[in-house]
Amino acid sequence: MKRQRFIKWATYVSLTTALTLVLAGCAAKGGEATSSTDSSAAAPAVAKPVEGGELTYALATSPDTLDPGASGFAVSHRVFRNITDSLVVQLQDGSFQPWLATEWTKSEDGKTYTFKLRQDVKFQDGTPFNAAAVKANFDHITTSARGQAKSLIGPFESAEVVDDYTIKLILSQPFEPFLSGLSSAFLGISSPQAIQQYGDQYGKHPVGTGPFKFVSWTENDEIALEKNPDYNWGPPTADNRGPSHLDKLTFKIVPEEATRIGSVQSGQLLAAEAVPPQNIAALKNDPQFQVDQAITNGTAFSLYFNLKSDIWSDIKARQAVQLAVDVDTIVKTLYLGTYDRAWSSITPGLLGYDASLENKIKPDLDKANQLLDEAGWKKGADGIREKDGKKLILRYLDGSPNREKRNDIAAIVQQQLKAIGVNVTLNITKDTSTPLKEGNFDLFGNSQVKADPDVMRSIFQSGKEYANGGTNWSNLSDPEIDKLLDLGSEESDLEKRKEAYTKIQQYLIDHAVILPIYVFPYTVAHPKTVEGLKFDLLGYPQFYDVSIHK
Amino acid sequence: MKDATALKPLWKSERKRPARSWHLGASDLFLYAAELVVLFLIVCAIVPGWVAPYSPTMMDAAQLLQPPSVKHLLGTDYFGRDVFSLIVYGSRDSLLIGLASVIVGGLTGGILGAFSGYIGGWIDQVIMRIIEVLMTIPGILLALAIAAAIGPSLINVVLAIAAGTIPRYARVMRSQVLSVKNRAFVTASRSIGSTGFRIFRKHVLPNSLAPFLVMATIGIGTSILTGSGLSFLGLGVIKEIPDWGTVLAQGRGYLTVAWWICTFPGLAIALFVLAINIIGDRLRDKLDPRKSGA
Repeated sequence: MKRQRFIKWATYVSLTTALTLVLAGCAAKGGEATSSTDSSAAAPAVAKPVEGGELTYALATSPDTLDPGASGFAVSHRVFRNITDSLVVQLQDGSFQPWLATEWTKSEDGKTYTFKLRQDVKFQDGTPFNAAAVKANFDHITTSARGQAKSLIGPFESAEVVDDYTIKLILSQPFEPFLSGLSSAFLGISSPQAIQQYGDQYGKHPVGTGPFKFVSWTENDEIALEKNPDYNWGPPTADNRGPSHLDKLTFKIVPEEATRIGSVQSGQLLAAEAVPPQNIAALKNDPQFQVDQAITNGTAFSLYFNLKSDIWSDIKARQAVQLAVDVDTIVKTLYLGTYDRAWSSITPGLLGYDASLENKIKPDLDKANQLLDEAGWKKGADGIREKDGKKLILRYLDGSPNREKRNDIAAIVQQQLKAIGVNVTLNITKDTSTPLKEGNFDLFGNSQVKADPDVMRSIFQSGKEYANGGTNWSNLSDPEIDKLLDLGSEESDLEKRKEAYTKIQQYLIDHAVILPIYVFPYTVAHPKTVEGLKFDLLGYPQFYDVSIHK
Repeated sequence: MKDATALKPLWKSERKRPARSWHLGASDLFLYAAELVVLFLIVCAIVPGWVAPYSPTMMDAAQLLQPPSVKHLLGTDYFGRDVFSLIVYGSRDSLLIGLASVIVGGLTGGILGAFSGYIGGWIDQVIMRIIEVLMTIPGILLALAIAAAIGPSLINVVLAIAAGTIPRYARVMRSQVLSVKNRAFVTASRSIGSTGFRIFRKHVLPNSLAPFLVMATIGIGTSILTGSGLSFLGLGVIKEIPDWGTVLAQGRGYLTVAWWICTFPGLAIALFVLAINIIGDRLRDKLDPRKSGA
């Protein structure tokens, strides 16, 4: 009997030991994950482009519609940019060059633009391209009045056909960002014949003058395009003069991050967009692959304070948060050095960007604490500040799913603000619209893609609050800012425009209306055999020059 | 050498022992291991601060994505948080969800089933038809739908998981009650004039509980799995301290560069569910009248 007991006891002891060992054994070194082999492979010499082949390109999300005049999504732009051309093209330096228009003039009062059009262009369905076609497009946009196009045309009033190849676009007031808008694919020119023929269904059957023709769209799977053999009117930014090198261009919709990148690594697809930061380093070290990073423009991803909130309408409280959030750490932690930190509401590539804001705000917890003390918020027993029995709560609103790791920014901000006694409550939800409309939030993150600083007008002008159908997340209402925003939009003197935008950017930081976090780089991973991929001013990919080497 | 000879008889006598004792040891082995795992996680859930070396919210930007090492037993995640500490602290929510949903689902299902089986008649018909309709929807799907509809909070997640398990408990309870209530001792009790409620409380219920308890035990494991699944899909509770499913979801994108972020929480879930199943299995053997005699 004693022996049996001993065995039982021994089993227990050995088991306990074994389990402890197993648990502790998890500490065993897991092997180095990152290899540090430097890829010293020189970039291949630019060879003559190879004709033919099919480029398969993985998109992270699906376009809503391929009707340029009706979409508001960047991903749709990436697709229909290949199908439609624009009147003008905007270069990286912000200046404009002819494309479908050969030349243009702006009237003295800045309200009328006259474009002379190319005479050798025809749409993919055979319809000739002329002034009447351009007018039909503007009529289409103004009557259906949807998407980005509507905001890009600004105070557009009417289009007037002067002769077959001359068109006049008339505005109700001067609008400086107009040319920039015209260069966007959201104002790309569609075939008037197709718009009429397909009506509401035009978004599923786009026809333009671009280097690729629409073939088919399988919902949530792929969009297939093929070469337009007649094309020889590419923009001056392209090297190619004839039809596209690629026979086919197929967009695959692959929302799952790991699958998207994996399909390129395994060779199933030839390119994938939106490469997660943790994969960029690994892919860059692989001699077979290349990761292109394009600067995007518009507003930097920023956190907008709700100025209508009880607590955070107090500038001192906002400034305390501004000093307590360590943006450098956030960007370094989450994006591993692949994203740049933002300093202003707009991206560095935009006209009037105020570089003097860089390094202006440094984290300073002492000062942040002092500001909250001055504002009457005293630390309670649990470390959270209180005033008149009310806790210092910051309701952080963010969208789901976790796009660009924005939910993780919220998690870090929550921890960082704990240090100054602010209780951050996270509301991460698919439906951000309801809290935004009802004003049940204190902080909300957002970014917008646009080529002109006028993008700020839709975000900071009074009357454009979310409840009124606008995107003034902060509910900012300051007549001085309103005036400056209007000035920026109407002023044709470049220096005066810049000055107005500089003042606005400084105001936003000085009054702690926003916390700029990062500038998003558009990333594409592809094998080195894919050559000639270029990006426009907004970071949209250009496939016209792409060729695939064997 | 002397010592070795001295030990010899002991060794011999052990060889002589029948194989049966070793057999007992082997199956006990698993049970002890399982009990240990469960015990450890219960300690983690109650006093995580004693076990975890770091705070689960401490984000160390200098220690991002570190592989397992002496300093960080299971490595660090992309916030620079210690994965081991995350698992230890995450056990609280995971266990809480598991237990609470079994209690809610088990009580509701058990009461419905017992009621339905004991009373019978049209009440039985109505309840069982409802249960059958619920049965047609897979539990995880029902949980997903409910979680998506009523939004993420701890109580909602518990309700969502519990709802999916009600039919199973109800059916097991009902079938047990049905078979017990016609046994001779019940009839005997009725013949001496016991009231219906007394018979139910004194005879039917105690004799029907065994399978139900086994199911509830195993149900804890299943519920934790479902709870983690909901969190993984982003329908769980969003809190400062993530539960296992959330850590798993966060680490998923890093699988190729930092396998440890989602491997270890995954192992924790697997180990715990396995342990609970082993215990449940043994409990079944113990409560089985045919086996317990042996």
